[in-house]
Amino acid sequence: MKIITHLQSQELYIIIPVFDHDEHLKEIIQTLTGKGYKNIIVVNDGSEKDIFKQISEFNIHYLHHRQNLGQGAALQTGFDYAAGLDAEFVVTFDADGQHDPNDLPVVLAPVVAGRADVSLGSRFLSSQPTNIPFSKKLLLQTARFFNFLFTGLMLTDAHNGLRALNRKALNKIRITENRMAHATEILVEAKKHHLLIEEVPVTIHYTDYSIKHGQSSWNSLRIFIDLVFYKLFS
Amino acid sequence: MNGIQLLLLFGISALGLYYVIRLRKTVLDLVLLILLLATSVTFVLWPELTNKIAHSLGVGRGADLLYYVCILLFSFALLKLYARIRRLEQAFTNMIREDALKNAKHQGRDQ
Repeated sequence: MKIITHLQSQELYIIIPVFDHDEHLKEIIQTLTGKGYKNIIVVNDGSEKDIFKQISEFNIHYLHHRQNLGQGAALQTGFDYAAGLDAEFVVTFDADGQHDPNDLPVVLAPVVAGRADVSLGSRFLSSQPTNIPFSKKLLLQTARFFNFLFTGLMLTDAHNGLRALNRKALNKIRITENRMAHATEILVEAKKHHLLIEEVPVTIHYTDYSIKHGQSSWNSLRIFIDLVFYKLFS
Repeated sequence: MNGIQLLLLFGISALGLYYVIRLRKTVLDLVLLILLLATSVTFVLWPELTNKIAHSLGVGRGADLLYYVCILLFSFALLKLYARIRRLEQAFTNMIREDALKNAKHQGRDQ
């Protein structure tokens, strides 16, 4: 774990986009800083709540969108900021408590080792039993298929917010899909720029809270429509 | 001239006038607008013309032909509008992002 320890202090930036649903944010930052991750970027995507007040005790980078734009836009703002700080690696981490901070070394391993430019967390590669609801499973399998249609990449998971990028990917990938279609756009961009992609097993913790604030079927339809127009106009 | 023709002609004239006064004034736009208005007025005054054109294209009625053409035109207009909205959204996003990057905070107990 020597490499990861080095990364914890220097070149790694963890980007956490947050919009109103911040119940787990403090706990996540506490855990990450406790594990030695020094560079945490919180992008408040136009929340009505005073997010900074809750986390100002931590040594974090804090960015604030004056208007809510969507998770994709918040991630790109985090990417721009991290690129400006000359980050070597970035990790994207959801604020709803679904991701496990213990998975960070696993997600980082392929990019740190130079095997991949983009490392994607996959809940379906994990040997750990998960309490994934059936409807969610069905939705994700459909999303996988649509990802394949739009990108030509058949992955084991879709819309998993835990991913790691190296500097090359950080500089090449440009998210223009402000809302949730960004997850597919990242794949499109990665393919367009011939970036190496690797999937790694990660654990997703489904709680009543995360299910409530996760993707609904209606949102999935919106993502699909966004993707169609993205393909038409990009 | 019957009632519906009067109503349509009034509508077409009002639209044309509004377009010229409030929206675009480039020469090409004006030429296209005049062409479109002239066609509309011709079809309103001589509706049989649409039937003749429809028959030559294999469509039963002139009204059906106009309906199909309208669907195409509206789809095109919708796409153009959506493209414009996306451009506006991107410009808005860039503004919000620049502001966020400019006002980024980095503080805490360790510093």
